[in-house]
Amino acid sequence: MSLKKQEYLSNVLSTHRMSHVEELVNKFKAKRDEVKTTLQDKYGSDIYSPFDSGSFKKHTAINIKFDLDIVVPFKRNSFDTLEKMFDDLYEYLEAEFGDVAEVRKQKVSIGLLFKTDDDGDDVNLDVVPGREFNQDQYSEDRKLNLHLRNNTIFTSDSTYIQTNIQEQIEHINGKSDERMVIRLLKIWKHYNNEDFKSFLIELITIKAFKKDDISGNLWEKLEGVMNYIKENVIKEDFKLKDPGNSNNNVMDTLDNAERTNLSNRMETLIDRINNNAQNIKSYFPLNDDFEDEESSSEGYGIKIGSGIASTPPSTERFG
Amino acid sequence: MKIKNHTRKVELNIDENLLEDIASIGIKHYPNEFGGFLIGEYSNNFKNLNITDFILPNSYKGSPYLFERSALGLEEKFENIFKEKGNYYIGEWHTHPSSSTKFSKTDLDAMINIANCETVTIKNPILLILSVSKTTLNHYTFYIYDDKKLTPYE
Ligand SMILES: [Zn+2]
Repeated sequence: MSLKKQEYLSNVLSTHRMSHVEELVNKFKAKRDEVKTTLQDKYGSDIYSPFDSGSFKKHTAINIKFDLDIVVPFKRNSFDTLEKMFDDLYEYLEAEFGDVAEVRKQKVSIGLLFKTDDDGDDVNLDVVPGREFNQDQYSEDRKLNLHLRNNTIFTSDSTYIQTNIQEQIEHINGKSDERMVIRLLKIWKHYNNEDFKSFLIELITIKAFKKDDISGNLWEKLEGVMNYIKENVIKEDFKLKDPGNSNNNVMDTLDNAERTNLSNRMETLIDRINNNAQNIKSYFPLNDDFEDEESSSEGYGIKIGSGIASTPPSTERFG
Repeated sequence: MKIKNHTRKVELNIDENLLEDIASIGIKHYPNEFGGFLIGEYSNNFKNLNITDFILPNSYKGSPYLFERSALGLEEKFENIFKEKGNYYIGEWHTHPSSSTKFSKTDLDAMINIANCETVTIKNPILLILSVSKTTLNHYTFYIYDDKKLTPYE
């Protein structure tokens, strides 16, 4: 059988669609709105309107892993230092939600992990505080300074990042081909326990579409992007500019060994799939939770992640 | 030859010569039951199944009302078929000597085991029952397994 890779991949995407987890997403949204309202009540005129970010907002979410983030833009005069802003927000969230959620400090955000509800669902949100550069300047340029804890993101030992999150969201807006490839690479990352940053995958995919001729069907596009990654991440002068601040090179988050590793991963993936199309299934599995939903009534079913042969049970008796 | 199953809206293809080959082996074992494994490939949209081959068990026990087959020693064969041609082990066949092609409770139980078996990567295995006499194939029925039920193709 010549497995049609593009059809298979579009199936992979459809079993990972967010619409399968609508109820869960609604719970996330409800919590997000609740948190936003509390923040507005608490900080009033010290902040601009909190806004949504994360993979859900960017339409790059997959139903096995998605983020709903809240960005809180603080005014310049609200706090003396970024650390004080971060700590104040943390203390407030802890006081307000500490009995229903685990509140924890993360790299640039404060995580709210709500206790598992009666349906067994876990809702979690990241709240990202940022501060404008100068008083009243945010409304003009949307630029923010984020407090950076335990800096391992960039090689410099900075304690803050200047960026423009609106610009980052804008950067991916309307890029539906890119998004499909990004989702597939995130699916690969998730099931194969790769720890490359989603933001890096996002930027490099968009850049590949810009710099290379990425065209054809879904598989050909994915292959094109993987090829681009394979060939470019090992180049010393290869840069990935943060759309929110061109001085941030997101490639700096990878050291040389990690770059080589990423390039090798892509090479193996491409080779193995071109060698035998069936291998695509082990790198990009269907989400079997929703495979049934789609195919329970029609078609022959294949079990999840089965890029492997089907072998019968050793002994069976018929009458 | 193409037949349809309306419950899962699927089709099944089998070459008449292949079916004759299977039947003639079954007839040889008359009056005992006999059977084996079916190999096939799915279309890209998983709506069509093409039965391409069959494999006979290395060891088995057959009587007029019972057939027990072993798959031992055949693992590599199934793996190669998959590696080389992308074909799957898709189900089982056995004869009902001088009897109808209706499946028995034992048959259904076997199919439930098969569908639940971890090494079986397909969800809807096929059961082919051939009603045979001493010299001829009287009738045959293909069934598709789904959710603890077997429904025939027409
Ligand atoms: Zn039987």
